[in-house]
Amino acid sequence: MRVKSLIPMIGLLGMAGSAEAGENLLGYTKGAEVLPKGAAELYQWVTQRTDKGQGEYTAYDLKTEFEYGITNRFNMTGAFLAQSIETSGLLIDGYLPEEIDTGLEPAGITVGAKYNFLSPAADDFGLTMALEGAYMWKDPHSGQDKDTFTVELAMYMQKFFMEGQLVWLGNLGMESTYAHRADIEGLPADFDWPTEPEMEIGIAAKTGLSYRFVPNWYIGAEIFYEEEFETEVGSERWSVFAGPSIHYGGARWWTTLTWVTQLKGGGEVYEGQIDQNLHLIEKTEDEIRLKVGYNF
Amino acid sequence: MRHTPALIMMPVAAFVCQVQAADYLSTAEAQAVLFPQASTFSRQEVVLTKEQLKAIKKASGVRQRKTMPPIWRAEREGEFLGWFYVDDVIGKHEFITYAAAISPEGEVRGIEIMSYRETHGDEVRNQQWRDQFVGKKADAPFKLNEDIINISGATLSCRNITDGVKRLLVLQEMVLKE
Repeated sequence: MRVKSLIPMIGLLGMAGSAEAGENLLGYTKGAEVLPKGAAELYQWVTQRTDKGQGEYTAYDLKTEFEYGITNRFNMTGAFLAQSIETSGLLIDGYLPEEIDTGLEPAGITVGAKYNFLSPAADDFGLTMALEGAYMWKDPHSGQDKDTFTVELAMYMQKFFMEGQLVWLGNLGMESTYAHRADIEGLPADFDWPTEPEMEIGIAAKTGLSYRFVPNWYIGAEIFYEEEFETEVGSERWSVFAGPSIHYGGARWWTTLTWVTQLKGGGEVYEGQIDQNLHLIEKTEDEIRLKVGYNF
Repeated sequence: MRHTPALIMMPVAAFVCQVQAADYLSTAEAQAVLFPQASTFSRQEVVLTKEQLKAIKKASGVRQRKTMPPIWRAEREGEFLGWFYVDDVIGKHEFITYAAAISPEGEVRGIEIMSYRETHGDEVRNQQWRDQFVGKKADAPFKLNEDIINISGATLSCRNITDGVKRLLVLQEMVLKE
């Protein structure tokens, strides 16, 4: 895993000094709490995905999201997505058609809504339902042009222990995707790059714990399972990722740094894939995610 | 990727800011507000045993973290007015420090927020919210949205202050009852 490029920002965070905190105690598993009426939050995510077992592959996903409390239970979100893909020394039939270095480019937008049914502090168990629609015009795996429409329905659960010092988070989600790839000129005749529209259904289950070890600072760990089904091949891929998080939060802003590694995966494999116990076509071996949130 | 480190650092740098802790009242100021008629406050040394800590948790539902809670006896020219407590509870990110005044009969006379550093819910400092505790005894429900109104965006803080006051009432009943 290449962590060199993340070192400067870790150093900067270390110098940030005292300030305050918020949600998103973990990088991937979300909490059930929502913003109160009239409150707003701006999030910036950066995710680095690296290593497909062979060749070079590094992707950065950026998400800039704004969330607003319409009522004390109902929040709306909107986000802008950007990405960068750099890959060489590895071509995967049907998935990675050519070596590419895209630089940072706009990739998509999302719109979402969340409704909080139960509060983890007032009701002892937190429950929020979230609905998100996304439109992407770039393929997050290959960096090629691809129109993707996704609708995701998710359930966020949360439980406080030790008066809130220890927090359990759990998510269940399902998404439906319609995708249509653009043609790529000059591909070898035998290279598979289907341009017919495809439909996919994905499911996800995530869980994690976060513990406040001193005021403002939490350490956590999470594990999540994701599987995607597609008409042609049935279960196209599945994977289990896990890893630790560190979270710092204050009254106005917070940040979370998470590293996860793929423990196990399955489904399709690419020709010549050495480690057949991982899914490395659409996933990578490692991911690092940094989130920063600012409350208004 | 060529531009990544700078791109990553830009949003981080934009959010790097110093937010000062909000301390509203010192111990002496809180004492003067909650017991304006008192002429003396004498520190009451209390060391809780393991059994007492366990009993307080059982009766109140929450942990008593400090074995030596800061407690003062408020008097006016020898007349016992009540107990003054300084207590910490967990907020969303930091401890919330508050003071509670409890009568010798075990009734809340009032509470004051001494420091609060959370994103939302500064309304816990409002007189109206704090007045909900006045007159409550240990046998009151102390339930959010039941006998204590919740403040959206600060539910954990409200819950822990509510539980904290009940814990102090239980502590007084078990340890300080005269």
